[in-house]
Amino acid sequence: MSLEPITFAALAVVLIGSAVAVVLTKNLFHSVLWLALTLTGTAGIFLSLDAEFLAAVQLLLYAGGVVTIVVFAIVVTERLVGDRITQTSRQLVNGFIISGAVLVGVLSFVLRSPAWGPRPPIAGDLTKAIGQSVLTRFVLPFELLAILFFAALLGAIYFARPDE
Amino acid sequence: MPASMPTALPPYVPLHAYLVLAAVLFSIGLFGVVTRRNTIGILLGIELMLNSVNINLVAFARFSGDVAGLVFTVFTISITVAEVALGLALVILIFRVRRTAVADHLDLLRG
Amino acid sequence: MTPVAMTDPGIFAAIALLLPATSFLILALGYPLRRSGRAAGLVSILCAAGALAAALRAWSLETPEGMTRIAYEWIPQEAGSLATVGVLADADSTIMLVLVALVSLLVQVYSLGYLDTEPRPALGRYFTYQSLFAFSMMGLVLAPGFLQLFIFWELVGLCSYLLIGYWYQRPEAARAAVKAFWITKAGDVGLLVGIVLLWYRAGTFDFLELYDLVRAGQLPVAGLAGVTFCLYLGAMGKSAQFPLHVWLPDAMEGPTPVSALIHAATMVTAGVYLLRRTIWLFALTPDVLHLIGWIGAFTALLAAVLACVQSDIKRVLAYSTVSQLGYMMTAMGAGFAGAGFLHLLTHGIFKALLFLGAGALIHSVGSNDIYHMGGLRRAMPQTVIVFLVGTLSLAGIPLFGGFYSKEEILGAVWSGGLAGPFWMLVAAAFLTAFYMFRVVFIAFWGEHRSVHGAHGVGHHLHDAPPVMTIPLWILAVMSVGIGLFFLRHHAEPEFTAPAWLTPLAVGVAVAGILLAWLTYQVRAISADLLARAFAPIRRAALARFWLDDLFAGFYRHVLLDLSRLIGWIDRYLVDGVVNLLSAWTLIWGDRLRRIQSGLPQDYVYGLAVGLLLLLIWVQWPR
Repeated sequence: MSLEPITFAALAVVLIGSAVAVVLTKNLFHSVLWLALTLTGTAGIFLSLDAEFLAAVQLLLYAGGVVTIVVFAIVVTERLVGDRITQTSRQLVNGFIISGAVLVGVLSFVLRSPAWGPRPPIAGDLTKAIGQSVLTRFVLPFELLAILFFAALLGAIYFARPDE
Repeated sequence: MPASMPTALPPYVPLHAYLVLAAVLFSIGLFGVVTRRNTIGILLGIELMLNSVNINLVAFARFSGDVAGLVFTVFTISITVAEVALGLALVILIFRVRRTAVADHLDLLRG
Repeated sequence: MTPVAMTDPGIFAAIALLLPATSFLILALGYPLRRSGRAAGLVSILCAAGALAAALRAWSLETPEGMTRIAYEWIPQEAGSLATVGVLADADSTIMLVLVALVSLLVQVYSLGYLDTEPRPALGRYFTYQSLFAFSMMGLVLAPGFLQLFIFWELVGLCSYLLIGYWYQRPEAARAAVKAFWITKAGDVGLLVGIVLLWYRAGTFDFLELYDLVRAGQLPVAGLAGVTFCLYLGAMGKSAQFPLHVWLPDAMEGPTPVSALIHAATMVTAGVYLLRRTIWLFALTPDVLHLIGWIGAFTALLAAVLACVQSDIKRVLAYSTVSQLGYMMTAMGAGFAGAGFLHLLTHGIFKALLFLGAGALIHSVGSNDIYHMGGLRRAMPQTVIVFLVGTLSLAGIPLFGGFYSKEEILGAVWSGGLAGPFWMLVAAAFLTAFYMFRVVFIAFWGEHRSVHGAHGVGHHLHDAPPVMTIPLWILAVMSVGIGLFFLRHHAEPEFTAPAWLTPLAVGVAVAGILLAWLTYQVRAISADLLARAFAPIRRAALARFWLDDLFAGFYRHVLLDLSRLIGWIDRYLVDGVVNLLSAWTLIWGDRLRRIQSGLPQDYVYGLAVGLLLLLIWVQWPR
């Protein structure tokens, strides 16, 4: 309720602009940088939705961790190949058509549904609520997530083994 | 104009705005996935799509008051991070073998 | 199943039916027994004798109105049964049973002598077929309904094929067997159609139920003529009516005992028997009966003409059979089934006698041609005597078997109002006497012309051995006995014959004999003069009135061409469709596999399209 539409509009412009830049930039490294901006914009959106915890997680993991990993990957692969990989895209028109069609489809779906009205007042501390529900209502997915991480860790170690 | 759209800009940002934003981001990400030739470029497109999903989830969580959407988002982010890490590891391994990063050359599944 | 007692004719009829079946099974399954030839013959003859005893007992127990029915439900249905098999023993069927059993036994005994030069396994095969035939014919005679009748009808046709083609290594015999099968099959199709149509109208195959329906007037008569005509077609084929008579002369390729049994006394009479059995049904359609009468008379006359120009003794007898069958059918057509049936019985006896006698002549002379015989009355007196008995019966001379039944037929036809057929039958009677005595005078009188052209009586000509002559004498005695019987006991006729009928019948027969005597014995009239006088008819008769050519042409041009057309359709249209479908499958498979490019981005395209379709589908009703 406290956010003005103007802020939202600004964030939206940043988001969409940087997203377009991500997919259209020829240089891969620049693309990653634009992605970082996009992810930051998303964090801003989360803030505007009063989800501070999530904004923090977004910035830490996404804008921090994922971008770093991707940069590392680019550096490594560029080294392997030996020269700068220029980005060329394939079948731009087809891609535009298909994504445009999906956009139209989803929008038509969304815009026909009835309006929801203003957002309700916040009931208590959201972060605390997240923590509580993770350990009570969603404890099973939480534990499964731990197993997933374990598996990912094993996979990463396996990938990282030296060649015999 | 659909009847559900307000005719004048209300003093608050409606849910639909967030949904539309997410939809636009999703389609941009889809465009990136199908268009990019480099495998890492494709991964970036996937990131965009996942991001849009998160925006959707959080918006719904806020407007409905159910914290489940936020929890779901946390899970999604976690899994995405793990997936990106391992996916890039795979990409690197493939490059070691095939000496190429271009997705067009990775067509061993050709029927 | 109705309860039966020892005095029940049905039981004996069933025994008579099952004995040849047993013999057939023993011979068919017991290969060593069959290979031994004569032993197989003895088994078969034993069972045939037993069957005759049972048949005689059954006949003696039968009263004119009595009837026994033993039936088994074969195909059950909700209300009653769809098909029953069993035995229907009444006065007609038991007397017919006796005829079949008697002639079958005599023929089998005779065959032991006639076929004594056959290799043993072939002889065993012969007796197996004979047993099967006896069983089939009895099953036909005793059938309680159309379904069983048809089944045994077909079986009889099969046996005819097997027996005509007994010497299957001879191409003429094989061809004749196939021809017989084809032609009778054409008639059988009509019979089957008729049976099915009748069932469709009446809901039953059973004779007794149908009879009750007809009596109660519950069978709709409209359109029934087509049904009865179809039934008649079966009789036309089996009983060699014009135009389906062409198989019978060719069927003489089989052994003579076979001709005596099948093509004189039993199988060809099946059609007449069918009509006798169901005459009450045909009485509902008088138009069809009229047609039957006319066709019968025409057949009689046509066959008699054809018989006059034959030189093969068996062919003469074959055409004579066709002619006499025409007589029987004409009587049926006039509505007096009793007269026709009586002639069936008497004809069975003396025609079998004639065939067996001819067989004795052929066996001794070594040829079928009457011009190779001559002067045989000195060499083979017994055979000549019995053959003369048969001939006189056939010509219709009083004191002999055929006279009374022939006169009955003439009287029936006249009373039935079929004037045209009546005069045709009279003309046929004249010709019958003529051609039979032509054979007699040429074969038995005069000088012997042996096969090698030498004159004089060959010393290898002798009467047949007793195993062949005893059946001949039995039949001859029966012929005379029947003649004398009817001389003393006149059965109640169903009609009143005009007073001039008997003198006419006898006179015509005597006139025929006289003409034959004048032409072939005394040579007062030149045979060549007669031939020239009737030259066009003679030429046509020698060409069998081109009927065979007609059938052959039909087969070649219509049937075979139709087959070729259907074959073409099958190869190019039907197979073509299938091949086209498979070709399409291959082509589209090839094209579709290109979407499997191996590139995940293309698959993402697929995903996106699927998502779109899903969105559209979800929103569609709005």
